Amino acid sequence: MSSHNQQPDADIALRVKAIESLLIEKGIIDPAAIDTIIDAYEHRIGPHNGARIVAKAWVDSEFKQRLLADGTSAIAEMNLTGFSSEHMVVVENTPEVHNLIVCTLCSCYPWAILGLPPTWYKSFAYRSRAVIDPRGVLREFGLEIPEEVAVRVWDSNADLRYLVLPERPVGTETMTESELASLVTRNAMIGTAKVQLPSSPHEQAA
Amino acid sequence: MNGPHDMGGMHNLGPIPIEENEPVFHSEWEAKVFAMSFATFGNYFPVDETRHASERMPPGKYLSSRYYERWLYALELLLTEHDLLTQSEIEERMAQLAQADTPSS
Amino acid sequence: MAIETSNQCMSAEQAEALLRTGISCRVDSPEPGKFKVGDRVRAKVVHVPTYTRLPRYVRGKVGTITKDHGVYVFPDTLGMRLDTKPQHVYSVCFAAQELWGAEASAKDTLHIDLFDDHLEPI
Repeated sequence: MSSHNQQPDADIALRVKAIESLLIEKGIIDPAAIDTIIDAYEHRIGPHNGARIVAKAWVDSEFKQRLLADGTSAIAEMNLTGFSSEHMVVVENTPEVHNLIVCTLCSCYPWAILGLPPTWYKSFAYRSRAVIDPRGVLREFGLEIPEEVAVRVWDSNADLRYLVLPERPVGTETMTESELASLVTRNAMIGTAKVQLPSSPHEQAA
Repeated sequence: MNGPHDMGGMHNLGPIPIEENEPVFHSEWEAKVFAMSFATFGNYFPVDETRHASERMPPGKYLSSRYYERWLYALELLLTEHDLLTQSEIEERMAQLAQADTPSS
Repeated sequence: MAIETSNQCMSAEQAEALLRTGISCRVDSPEPGKFKVGDRVRAKVVHVPTYTRLPRYVRGKVGTITKDHGVYVFPDTLGMRLDTKPQHVYSVCFAAQELWGAEASAKDTLHIDLFDDHLEPI
């Protein structure tokens, strides 16, 4: 989303530095908290959390049932709930149904499960078109959804956050839970990709 | 509010910017804006008040700004509205920092 | 303003706790909702000049309640610091054709979480 109206980075950086120093001086923010927050999202919280949930659901059918019936408590069993994932709904992709998550009003996203959202999820292009033309949007990600498959779009406008349980790829029957988790990509858990085997001709998106 | 943020169904907002191997933050200022905002959540401002603050950005500006520029706008708006910070304090501090950064001749 | 905040500086420990537990928006309430699963509902045609989580593209459209999520604080008033106004939130399913016309796929649906105050019976 480049635009000639954007402020140059150096100006913004200076402005942010000024605000930061004032807020510390006034005792409104604590620099140690700032470091903790940045470190958590840069190093600890990310799509690997969601991938663990998906892999567990693939190998443990009772867990999968609990996950689909009440995402919040099933994810709490794994200690993976957290900020912006307090109330979770998990929706399952099947040969008949393809789910896609969006937030048209801002960029609501399950932070504790998938980390902070990628630029494309926050983009005006995605927020505007995912609801009116989900199949066109998916095509932009290289995903052609057959006409007979129903596309369900979930607009996370309120306090519930959504996670897609992607289909387990064929040929993974002998893989362990952690090997399965390593196949699960962020985009597959938002619904803009399918989970692929590493040998698959279609490269996995990040 | 019938603002530009309510964009479900709009056309002509361009192709989807898919970035491979994207970092969590693209620069230090983005990380700082995010973390400073997070540090106000609940304690100073309900999260929904912060969301609303970014929606109150003038439409032209909203549509030409980047994600964390909108966060910065919301943070400044709420800090100033709740008398925690003034625009002149920000300007003054910016001038001081800019001067400190300039090597003396 | 009705909703006050603590205005306390968040420590690193508090930030850590917030990251791990978040902020629950759920309210324990025996209050029944205005609607039940299977009900056909219309999203209200309202143009509030303040904060709302009811997007324009569903206003006036008819959908079906597919799930009652329980009682949550109402963001539309919380965002204005007016009131928590707890009420039921529902997953409402709209046919893509109801929202976007005959050009949309007859198979596709849009699911959105709407509050009692966003909906009216039909």
